Amino acid sequence: MKRARIAHNGSAVWADLVDSGSTLRLGNGETLAVADAHWLAPVAPGATIFALGLNYADHVKELGFKAKEPPLVFLKGMNALVGHRGETVRPADANQMHPECELVAIIGKPARNIRADQALDHVGGYSIACDYAIREYLENYYRPNLRVKNRDTTTPLGPWIVDAADIPDPQNLTLRTFVNGQMVQNGSTRDMVLDVAGLIAYLSQTMTLLPGDMIMTGTPQGLHFCAAGDDVICEIEGIGRLASRLVAEAGS
Amino acid sequence: MIAGNIYGVVLNDRPQLAQMADVFAMPPYNVPPRNPVLYLKTRNCLMTGGDGIALDPDLAEVEIAATLGLVFGRAAVKMSPATALDCVTGACLALDISEPETSYYRPTVRQRCRDGFLPLGQPGPFDRALLGGDIITFVNGTKVHAWSPKRLARDAATLIADISSFMTLAAGDLLLIGLPHDAPRAGRGDRVHIEGAGLAPLDARFQSATAA
Repeated sequence: MKRARIAHNGSAVWADLVDSGSTLRLGNGETLAVADAHWLAPVAPGATIFALGLNYADHVKELGFKAKEPPLVFLKGMNALVGHRGETVRPADANQMHPECELVAIIGKPARNIRADQALDHVGGYSIACDYAIREYLENYYRPNLRVKNRDTTTPLGPWIVDAADIPDPQNLTLRTFVNGQMVQNGSTRDMVLDVAGLIAYLSQTMTLLPGDMIMTGTPQGLHFCAAGDDVICEIEGIGRLASRLVAEAGS
Repeated sequence: MIAGNIYGVVLNDRPQLAQMADVFAMPPYNVPPRNPVLYLKTRNCLMTGGDGIALDPDLAEVEIAATLGLVFGRAAVKMSPATALDCVTGACLALDISEPETSYYRPTVRQRCRDGFLPLGQPGPFDRALLGGDIITFVNGTKVHAWSPKRLARDAATLIADISSFMTLAAGDLLLIGLPHDAPRAGRGDRVHIEGAGLAPLDARFQSATAA
């Protein structure tokens, strides 16, 4: 089952995808065609959004870093998110702004001190994020700093959440990013340094993870700097294709 | 109580910036921070059980930094310092708990975001006068620390203006305006009381070793 969050008649509501993905069915039985949907990021308000840096062996090498021990975890606020077919603002001077396709694991039931071999029982579903970075905004304090990773609209997320039961092995999925139709990332979740189960085990050692919390699990290699007007698609096997567009900052 | 994002800022204490000027010139920093150095507190930080805050077995003691939290009544987007405080309608005392900080380069999230690491006082209406008062910390009934937001390198208005230049502080968000670099420490069994700035006092306690 795929569950989307949409704006509908003035409310933010959750809806199931039915009829081979052509229709959205709301809880009250109402239906609408996916072509008419106004997609929101499928996030529970108040959720904690974790993100991983340097969690794919090939991307670590590409950037000339070493894999991090402990893992490089950072956080995002709700302001960073936009839904499927949303717009991401590109500042005029962001010449090194690049998309990062990431598998998102969504916590399904509370987790504290969970062993890795039981961790996937606590995942409710999976989604896709496009986590933009702007490399020239990096500073050497609390890296990666929020001015790089928590700008408004710089994290498209969606289009929906796929139930965990429909993704039997989250560590064997192809991830790809296309910019204006050209493939710029092509990796596999197989190459994660710390896998989904390991991340949940690590985080839950010191933090209670709650239903709705999201873990963006990092990105494979493929640095491609984008321009305003670019159409960007992040695709993960078994989940879907998340589309967004880069737009110029107002007034620039 | 707070359903929005909770942001805080480190390295906003003028005496600390003066003390660390030489450190900032060396690796891994190389240059002083140009923009506010921000962090998030997560919702599990608000989970303080009836028995108090349980410290994980790997922690002997923690830093307890008393500060002021500003509650946004409307969104702050690209504000100027002159108008920034118009978006703030509430305030509360906050106890920002963390592992003692050793590096500002790439700290782990767990350092500041363990369960119970952000007890908050009852919010009241915001008044600019709150920014001038002392914030006093007591541990087990003894006064151990006092400071004033007058020490901030970026005052509240400048801080909001600088942050809102690249990210929205939305209605319902909470902003912790800075931490004293000389914050005291506490451990298992300690009772902490924060008062000052004309706001409702805040009481927190850490579970004793036997409870943990």
